[in-house]
Amino acid sequence: MKRLRALNHKAHLIEQAATEGHREEVQLMSSVVGCTTTFDPGWEVDAFGGLASLCQPMEADLYGCTDPCWWPAQLADSLNTARDWTDGKNSALRDWRELQTLFPGD
Amino acid sequence: MKAETKNKRLHIVGAVAMALGVTGAVSANAAGDPGREVIDRKCASCHLEGGKLTRIPEIRKSPEGWDMTVTRMGIWHKVELTAEERRAVVKYLADRQGLAPSEAAPFRFLTERRPNMQDTPPDEEMAQMCGRCHSFGRVALQRRDEAEWRKLMHTHLGQFPSAEYSALGRDRNWWEIARDKMPGRLAALYPKNTDAWRDWSRAKHRPADGRWVVAGERPGWGAYTGVMTAVAKGNDKYEVSYELHFGAGNKVRGHGDAVIYTGYEWRGSARLGNEDTRSVFALSENGSRISGRWFLKHADEIGASFEAVRADKTAKSALALVTPHMLRAGDTATVTVAGAGLDAKVDLGPGIEVVEWLGKSAEQLKLRVKVASDAAPGLRKVVVGGRESDKSVAVYRQIDSVRVEPAFGIARVGGGTNPPMTAQFNAVAFLNGPDGQPGTDDDVRLGSVPATWSTEPFDERAKHDEDLRFAGHMEPHGQFLPSFAGPNPVRRGLNNVGNLSVIATVADGDRALNAKGQLVVTVQRWNPTPLR
Repeated sequence: MKRLRALNHKAHLIEQAATEGHREEVQLMSSVVGCTTTFDPGWEVDAFGGLASLCQPMEADLYGCTDPCWWPAQLADSLNTARDWTDGKNSALRDWRELQTLFPGD
Repeated sequence: MKAETKNKRLHIVGAVAMALGVTGAVSANAAGDPGREVIDRKCASCHLEGGKLTRIPEIRKSPEGWDMTVTRMGIWHKVELTAEERRAVVKYLADRQGLAPSEAAPFRFLTERRPNMQDTPPDEEMAQMCGRCHSFGRVALQRRDEAEWRKLMHTHLGQFPSAEYSALGRDRNWWEIARDKMPGRLAALYPKNTDAWRDWSRAKHRPADGRWVVAGERPGWGAYTGVMTAVAKGNDKYEVSYELHFGAGNKVRGHGDAVIYTGYEWRGSARLGNEDTRSVFALSENGSRISGRWFLKHADEIGASFEAVRADKTAKSALALVTPHMLRAGDTATVTVAGAGLDAKVDLGPGIEVVEWLGKSAEQLKLRVKVASDAAPGLRKVVVGGRESDKSVAVYRQIDSVRVEPAFGIARVGGGTNPPMTAQFNAVAFLNGPDGQPGTDDDVRLGSVPATWSTEPFDERAKHDEDLRFAGHMEPHGQFLPSFAGPNPVRRGLNNVGNLSVIATVADGDRALNAKGQLVVTVQRWNPTPLR
């Protein structure tokens, strides 16, 4: 941490937690922030039952989730199931309104 | 060429009959069934090996499970089915390779789409291997033998390679567990051949036509009673009409249809008042009762519980509802008993005296009761016509505690093609029970009570991010309406998500009781499968 300088709110919180002796918690939380299913229980809620450790805004990383089939139960996966889900919608930040739900109605 | 096609077709029909015959469930009228025709024409073009149908005969599932399978075949393998063909093949398979009522019972909350439920896998390994991506109930509503469960593992590996991460593949050899251990464990828990299915698939089941006295509770609206009439239209199809009474002056009429799968799984569609609804009910094994949930077609988180008793000549004091459930000691109250074949002889238990009859019919009893001021707090079984029912009333002096249900709720921001998902909260009153402590297992549930609703930031982070300002707002009847989806430029890198405390304030005489729940307003879901 000596060569790193906190720039934003989350980083300040991590720095503060480290100085208060919560070093192990800080390491775990920094892993969760990386958005991996190995540590997160779900697409909707983070490992702590809240939202702070999810990718935000979700649209910034949505296609990063769909391309490697990261949340196939909740989202389209463009690896196998819905390869054309993002066709013509090149920016999730701009085109999210056009994305279609997957399961057909009855 | 024509003769070849014909021969192949006959071959396939024979294969289907032989393969499905393993379950002992093929009925004499299977030939000519439109669902079987779909299997012959479309499924068998891939699922046929050595003249035998593969995979399909080896699995049993709920109607929703089969619908998801059939839909997946369309998405993965471009099998094109019309809506009619889709319905036919699901009906055919759910009838012949479904789940017995006792097999589906533990996970009805999932088929009924009850919101904010968290299922509990049998152990940590099952949770890690199955329940980190989807509900465990999705697994538990299927039956396969070991070899077929192993094929499901291979399907996951091929189609969803990220399963490796979810199954903790960074820390262990997950594939050995998936391939070598899980199939046997799952086959032991959820085997293809069971006594329950053998007995159910051989038994004759009572049709659902006739008059039913119905009742339930819609969170935010309260309890209702009413009548449902089902008219048989052939092939397990019914035309259904409803008349529901939600308290004084709120009468809702409706009309729709229903299909019975597997002899007991009722799936209906109705226009109730000005709302389009879907129903997921189950007939009891003897066909005398129906229970389940109905919900809005385009917002399945909004719905109501449903219980019905068959109103025919054989009904004897069969109760659907006793309302209100909570009676205060020292008060006089009007109690309604809804049911079928009701005998006007009611015993509500010690300390509750009937002082006046306001109505007596075979389907509804209405009575004024006086609750003794020294009546002991607690539950009393309701006895009608000398028969003890499964319904109760609760006497209380004061409400000891209130809980917000659900304790942890989820709403979703919406917009574009994906509508928002609201969250409906309910305030429920409790007595402390024998231990005198609130929040313990022996608390006595009194029932839903009116509340004033408010929201607060759940924690410091929510306060810092001003979640209260952006996430949405709470309606007076406890329904939270989330905000629009999409990045909010005002929030500097956030959507309109939020982490809120939901607070119910309940008046009990001069006292005010508070209860708190948590609401996470989160992002959309794009894969709205019937089983989540």
